[in-house]
Formats: sequence, C-alpha cells, structure tokens
Amino acid sequence: MGSLQSLWKRDFIEKAAVKPLYLEVRRGEIIGLLGPNGAGKTTLMKMFTGIVVPTAGQLRVLGFEPAKRDLYFRQKIALVMGQKSQLWWDIPAMDSLQLLMRYYEIPKNLFLERVHYLASLLEVEPQLQVHIRKLSLGERMKLELMACLLHDPQIIFLDEPTIGLDLIAQRKIREFLLNYHRERGVTVILTSHYMADVTALCQRIVLVMNGEKHFDGPIRAFEGLMGQEKYVKFFFSQAQNEQHPLLIPWHPSFGNQGLEVELRVPEDKLKDVCAAILQNLPVTDFQTEKMPVERVMQELLSRTGA
Amino acid sequence: MLGTLKKYALIYREFFATCLAEATTYRMHFVLLIVMDLLFYATTLTTVDFIYQHVSAVGPWDRNQFMFFLAFLLTVDQLHMTFVSESFWVLSASIRNGDLDFLIIKPVNLYFLIFLRHIRPASMLLCFVTVFLLWHFGTKAGLGWVQFMLLPVLLILALLFLVSLEILISASMFWLVEGTGVNFFRMQLQQVSRWPDFVFYGLPRRFFTFVIPVLLIGNAPVQFLFSPFAFSSLLWMIGLTVVIWVLIERIWSKALRQYESASS
Repeated sequence: MGSLQSLWKRDFIEKAAVKPLYLEVRRGEIIGLLGPNGAGKTTLMKMFTGIVVPTAGQLRVLGFEPAKRDLYFRQKIALVMGQKSQLWWDIPAMDSLQLLMRYYEIPKNLFLERVHYLASLLEVEPQLQVHIRKLSLGERMKLELMACLLHDPQIIFLDEPTIGLDLIAQRKIREFLLNYHRERGVTVILTSHYMADVTALCQRIVLVMNGEKHFDGPIRAFEGLMGQEKYVKFFFSQAQNEQHPLLIPWHPSFGNQGLEVELRVPEDKLKDVCAAILQNLPVTDFQTEKMPVERVMQELLSRTGA
Repeated sequence: MLGTLKKYALIYREFFATCLAEATTYRMHFVLLIVMDLLFYATTLTTVDFIYQHVSAVGPWDRNQFMFFLAFLLTVDQLHMTFVSESFWVLSASIRNGDLDFLIIKPVNLYFLIFLRHIRPASMLLCFVTVFLLWHFGTKAGLGWVQFMLLPVLLILALLFLVSLEILISASMFWLVEGTGVNFFRMQLQQVSRWPDFVFYGLPRRFFTFVIPVLLIGNAPVQFLFSPFAFSSLLWMIGLTVVIWVLIERIWSKALRQYESASS
C-alpha cells in the first residue's frame, strides 16, 4: 500500500551531500579521501571531475572550473571507479583502448608505446585481446587503470580502485600506482575502504564525515590523532581476571574466555607495562601494533556519532 | 575545423568497428535482428496492401502512393534503427546507473557520444531492402528522376527532424531518472508518424502537426515529392528543426547541470 501511496504523495528530505569544505591539493601530491559510506567522498570526486555540478561554492582543478566541462580540462583528467566500468563488455579491451585513442587524439605510435608500457607494468599483455566479460575482476580493474592512463593525465581520480579484489591483486595495483606516481609525478586523489591502500599510497589524508571535513593532514599526524599509543595483545596459558590491577588501567579488551587481552598503552610506558605483565602473568605470547588507521577512524566515528 | 571533422570521422569509424565486433559476437542475435526487421517491413506493407484489395483509394492516395509513403518511412526507420535508436535505450540505462559519468568527462562532444555511439550493423544490411522498396513503389507512383535525386536529401531531413524531436524529449530522462517510459513514448510517436496526415482529423491532426509534430516526418517530404508546389509543410518542418535545436541546447544544458549521477 505504501508503494501505491507513493505514486501521488511523497515526502522528500533535502540533505547537503557536501557541506562547505576547504581543500587545496598541491601538484604531484597523493591524497586519500577517507570516510564512512555516505560521507560525501564520491560526490566530491564527481564534483572535482565535473560530473556533478555543485549548487554553491568555488572549485578549481588545474585552473579550470570543472562544472564548465571545458574540453581541455577533460583532456587532462582521468577517473577510475572501482564499481563501474568504462570498457565495453562484449569486445576485447584493445578495441576499447583504440576508441580512447581517438577520443584523446593520441598518435598511433605513442598509443602503441603507452599500451605496451602500461600493459607490461600491469602484467596484462595477454588479456588485451580477450573479451572484457571473460576477464577476472582483478584483470578488469588493471585494464580500467590502463584505459584511464592512456592519455597521460595530469590528475587522476581513483574511487575505490581495489574494491572487491583479492589481496594479491590489491597489492599489485598499489605497487603499480606507486611506481607510476614516482615516474610521472601525477596528482592522485584516492578514495578507498581499504586502509592498506591509503597507508601504502597516500602522503596526506582528508577525513570526510557527513559531508564535512574532520581532518586534513599527513598520515602520521592522523595516526597520532588519538595520542601516541600502541596496541599490545597478550596470550595467556590461564584465563585472567578482568579486574586484574596490572591490566585495568590500559583499557583491556578480553577475548577467548580471558586467555587473550588487548591493551592500549602510551608509547612512553610501553616498556614498563610489558615488563610487569611478562614478569607477573603466565604469558605465552604477545604482539604490539601501532594505532592503525582503521582504529583511528572507528574511534573518530564513534566519537562524532557519524 | 578540418582537424575537428577528421577527429570525429575517426571516432565514428572506431564506433562502427567496435559495434560490428560487438554485434558479430552473438551470431544468432545478429541474424534474429535482421529477421525481426524484415517481418516488421512485411507486416506494415501487407496491412496496407490488404486494405487496397478492398478499396481503390484511401484519402487522396492510391495504392502506389500509399506504398511509396510507407517505403519512405520504413527507410527513415531503418536509418534510425541503424544509427541512433540503440543510443536512446542506452542513455536511459546510463542515466539510471551512472554510466553517463564516463561520457561526461571525455573530451568529445557529448551529443555525439550519447547519440551516435551505438550503431546496429544488422539493420544497416537492410538498406538493400528499403532502397529497393523506394525505387519499386516510387517508380509505380510515377516519380521522375528529379524526385529520385531529391530523395536522399529528404530522407536525411526527415531523419534529422525525427531525431531532433527525440533528443528534445529525451532530456526529460534526467529528471525522471527511469527513462524506459520516455523511450516507449518515443516509439508510440513513431507509430503515429507512420500514417498519412489525412488519416487524422481535427484536434489530433493539429496536435501531431503543431505541438508534437511527428506527422511532418513522412508527410512533409512525401507530399512535396508528389506535388512540388506543396512545400509549405516541408518549410515548416525545416524551420521547426532549427527551433528544436535551440530548445535542445537550452534544455539539455539545464538537464546536464542537474544530472545527479548514481551512487557507487
């Protein structure tokens, strides 16, 4: 009944996808846009590329206003979306690449050179003549990257380029992007749900939540946002009391029926705390880890209720 | 200017190559499309032929004139199916799923990319049939060589007018998001255009001549061919094409600014 009613009466909620936000990206920088689902990251990317026109504010990319969709602007940018494909499904990738060669007016010799260069870096030379629909997700994504880099763009927008890929494929794409950036010095703006992408590639992080910027700075500063703390995990041969005085000051999180505990310890106290626990409790193993970006994100999200 | 023309010619050649590669991937589908179009031509012609077995004239036209009119519209339809029809269906889907994003950022004219990107090579092969129909019924209807010379120009004008109207109507897809309904509406308008204007009376005739002027597509050029002094409809159609393109520029510009894309 609700569906029928919606034919003539519908309530709309107006919500700003992106609120006033100041962001400056330097030439050659790689920045990571982080944030939960619906934070406004993809909308930002679409505004940067001129796909979506902002209702207010000023935006300049490479000296152009993206909303005007100037021909020269479109020649200088590239966009990869992990969840969408620009390659034709029913033809080999090489045919789609040739079409792009015509769009960007790339001379034939240069085109073949670029195809060879990119295909060998991405290890997809044999896949160039295979129909796109017959390729694995990882192979397709590599070819998507190739398609977006053919015209040697000055700025690359990568919207979740490793989504859905297995760990090996993710790592290869990260390595490729790092090498490509090192060689060409292009500007890269990346969004990803995989923190490994961000930590491996980005020099700078911009945290967006509910369309607002919550952090903008180097990745190390982001990690240190919660204080200089480390996570330490201890494994015991006997279950431990959850109120043990050696553990309770360090925000313990117990697991495996008291046989494991994870503590959050300031870096300057780490040595003393570990020594005391190792001396007084039946520890079988332990491991430490720096405050990972995921944890910082989770903590910030729970603090802001985003 | 010459450089731009060359660029677009090369892109179009690539469109054709990729569409041909795509079409021939599924051989039975390729053949079925041809058979389906042939069936459509046959049913259209035999329906009118059946009527003329019982009457000697429909309105002012005899059998040969009516059949030539149908041949003209079938040719416009064949050109439409070959060069643009598929693109309207793809546009509807790409607005809904956000695939249009990739076209917007390409350094190529957007109308060109949207409306000329999808070619149906199977329908192209049918040009032999439509050209034969035009020649056969044109000769029987008494057309002279001058009229036959004018025929290609008139076909292009008719196709351009039809496509312009459709592009204008398609802008609504940006606000409706689901454009399948708009595409069916377009198809029904094409159905209306397949009849001579004298079949309609009063308000419907005025509506389809002046408001949504689909009756001009076949009627204006064919009436001009039959009576060269009856060119007012043809002039009206050419003038309207210009007006429609002014409207397209304005409405499409607004539509593209309001394009919301789709979430990823």
